Amino acid sequence: MKPYLKIAIIAIVLIGLAGAGTGFYFFNKKHKDLLKTRPDFIVSSIDLQKEFETDESAANTKYGNKIIEVTGIIGSVKRGEEEILSVSLNTGSDFSSVICTFPSKADPSIFTKGSQVTIRGECSGFLMDVLLNNCVIVK
Amino acid sequence: MKRIVFFLTFTFLFFSVNAQKFMTRNGYIGFYSHTAMEDIKGDNNQVASVLDISTGEIVFQVLIKSFHFEKALMEEHFNENYMESEKFPKSTFKGKITNLSAVDFSKNGKYDVVVEGDLNIHDVTNKVTAKGSLEVITGGINANSKFNIVPEDYKITIPGVVRDNIAKNLEVTVAMKYTPVENK
Repeated sequence: MKPYLKIAIIAIVLIGLAGAGTGFYFFNKKHKDLLKTRPDFIVSSIDLQKEFETDESAANTKYGNKIIEVTGIIGSVKRGEEEILSVSLNTGSDFSSVICTFPSKADPSIFTKGSQVTIRGECSGFLMDVLLNNCVIVK
Repeated sequence: MKRIVFFLTFTFLFFSVNAQKFMTRNGYIGFYSHTAMEDIKGDNNQVASVLDISTGEIVFQVLIKSFHFEKALMEEHFNENYMESEKFPKSTFKGKITNLSAVDFSKNGKYDVVVEGDLNIHDVTNKVTAKGSLEVITGGINANSKFNIVPEDYKITIPGVVRDNIAKNLEVTVAMKYTPVENK
């Protein structure tokens, strides 16, 4: 076989493998590990909730889909379906808090009601509370 | 306008002084698509819902971005391509238990119910009827239901390339654990 043909075939195979590899990577891409990602915002649960309560639209534009590192006092810890964990942080409002949802198999014993905690999560938006997802505990 | 009316109804339901209201902020709604190509499951554990046991009115609010998928790429496609969650961030259901008299809220037990109402997804509203169960327990009420929806009914367009990867009918599962609303 002519040498340039051999090189061409090798090149095509390599490009094909690279393409398949990239496709495979994206298809199986897991969610961001927030412990390895710098947060876009660092804020207290009191201030975060207040911003959403004051102007939900502006807060959504500012925080929507961003990574937020929030510090607050734990108001409650709830177990949901598929063993996910919902940690509620207190705010200035009795009716509205910051709810941080941890992926399944999170260990509930590290969260104690009344203690202060710093959590990093992606902001999904606001219903009755500020909702953070894909959460990890920072400290 | 509809959104303002809905929001006011939701807020009113929540804040009215009435010991008959139950609510949750951590309700579960998930959907499941099964095809020969692949199985897709989306889970949302941040559903807000209020149930008024005196009237049978039931209201759900769901943030689309709170749906979690195992594969990050699927979650991106779900939000950006199918649900367009930047444009339509919430889905809502506003309905009523049609056989309220069949439930004895003073007695612990499981009761079969039928719920009928308006389901709004992707800015399209359709009337939905679903069977479910209410379980009265000490200190709360658990609600469960399973029903099907067709994405095209809500103008959710799935491109031909992946149409076979997503089921024509999606199975929706609802699991709520209501607790009484405290009057502060």
